[in-house]
Amino acid sequence: MNESTDPTSLVLWGGFALAFVFGAVAHKANYCTMGAISDVVNMGHWGRMRMWLLTLAVAIIGTQLLHAGGQIDLARTIYQRPTLPWLSLLLGGTLFGIGMTLAGGCVNKNLIRLGGGSVRSLVVLAFMAIAAYMTLKGLFGQWRAAWLDPVSIDLAGLGMSDQSLASLLVRAGAVPAGPAVLGTALALGGALLVFVLADRRFRGNTVQVLAALVLGLLVVSAWYLSGHLGHGENPETLETVFFATNSRTLESMSFVAPTAYSLELLMLWTDKSLRVTFGIATVLGVIAGSLAYALASRRFAWDGFASFADLRNQLAGAVLMGFGGVTAMGCTVGQGMSGLSTLSIGSLIAVAGIVAGAAATMKCMLWREG
Amino acid sequence: MNHDKELDASGLACPLPIVKTKKALGAMTPGQVLRVVATDPGSVADMAAFAEQTGNPLLAQSTQDKKFVFFLKKA
Repeated sequence: MNESTDPTSLVLWGGFALAFVFGAVAHKANYCTMGAISDVVNMGHWGRMRMWLLTLAVAIIGTQLLHAGGQIDLARTIYQRPTLPWLSLLLGGTLFGIGMTLAGGCVNKNLIRLGGGSVRSLVVLAFMAIAAYMTLKGLFGQWRAAWLDPVSIDLAGLGMSDQSLASLLVRAGAVPAGPAVLGTALALGGALLVFVLADRRFRGNTVQVLAALVLGLLVVSAWYLSGHLGHGENPETLETVFFATNSRTLESMSFVAPTAYSLELLMLWTDKSLRVTFGIATVLGVIAGSLAYALASRRFAWDGFASFADLRNQLAGAVLMGFGGVTAMGCTVGQGMSGLSTLSIGSLIAVAGIVAGAAATMKCMLWREG
Repeated sequence: MNHDKELDASGLACPLPIVKTKKALGAMTPGQVLRVVATDPGSVADMAAFAEQTGNPLLAQSTQDKKFVFFLKKA
């Protein structure tokens, strides 16, 4: 196998390229999940929420078509495991939602801000990565494994092979197995499209519409890259593997654990068992894409903390995002786009927690301002 | 531009500038003008959307020394 077809290089450079576009487009369109929730909660404005939902609709339809066409196997993703750790997903999501509101944006938003020159976001991401790593392998991880993850539902015992919404509907007898499952998924994506595009003002916002379409397609492309192009026989072990992913299965965009793994790689660089992975490449890609857009549009500007209160809030938010993001198995992108594109029940729980945590924190901020 | 109240949201990240603006306007009487100073680049789009959505007209906005200045009229 020559270098140009090496699947590891393809996954890494492909992941970097997809994330580069992701970072540039998200910067250009001011894409921000926390901002979308804030717009709805604080002013009843649904513009950015519609952008998120359009991204989601495209991601769901594209991902489900890839799965139905046999190009990828969503049942092998971390989002579809037959055990549903509902407490971890709900609590982790809620803490992530609180954290991203205190930190002025989720992990993805802070990566984009970092590309735009925000030293504040660099500090937030560093603390977030430490907390995330502690939740993966450290003290927080011990708490998570001992007290949260065991509170779960064994879906296999209920006759479900995975935690997809389709499996639940089939199990409940709502739809028959087979093509009807794809039909249900497409109907859900279609319903989202109708809701989003019913608003004339949103349809007229070309930047937001195009950005949402591109971001949704990037999530689908990342699944195809790691789940199809990056899936094959390892010439060294002769095992069929997913090349260059931390989870050793197919992945799409997700930024909490990959940022922690980026920090790990930097700190343990001489440990030859550690390598650059798809997730690390996407973290770097988002920063680079955002930086390129900031420089091209002359929007690059250094930014720091405004006060001690600002520093305190942002660091608290960073730690909550790190713990919550790993516990919920994803962030606003990892669960809010990639996870939901698989129509996972767990992703629905995690995202409900994120939205509830963010909205409650915003209401609390408004109350405290009084 | 003459104004009745001033809000300094410098250094605050989203959503705090909007949260503070909403609260400040809530304590004002119709016709009064609020001057808001922010440094978050996202506040430019946020404040325009806030004005449109809540019906409190955005009378003017400008950039001064890397700070964004907004004048909102309480509806």
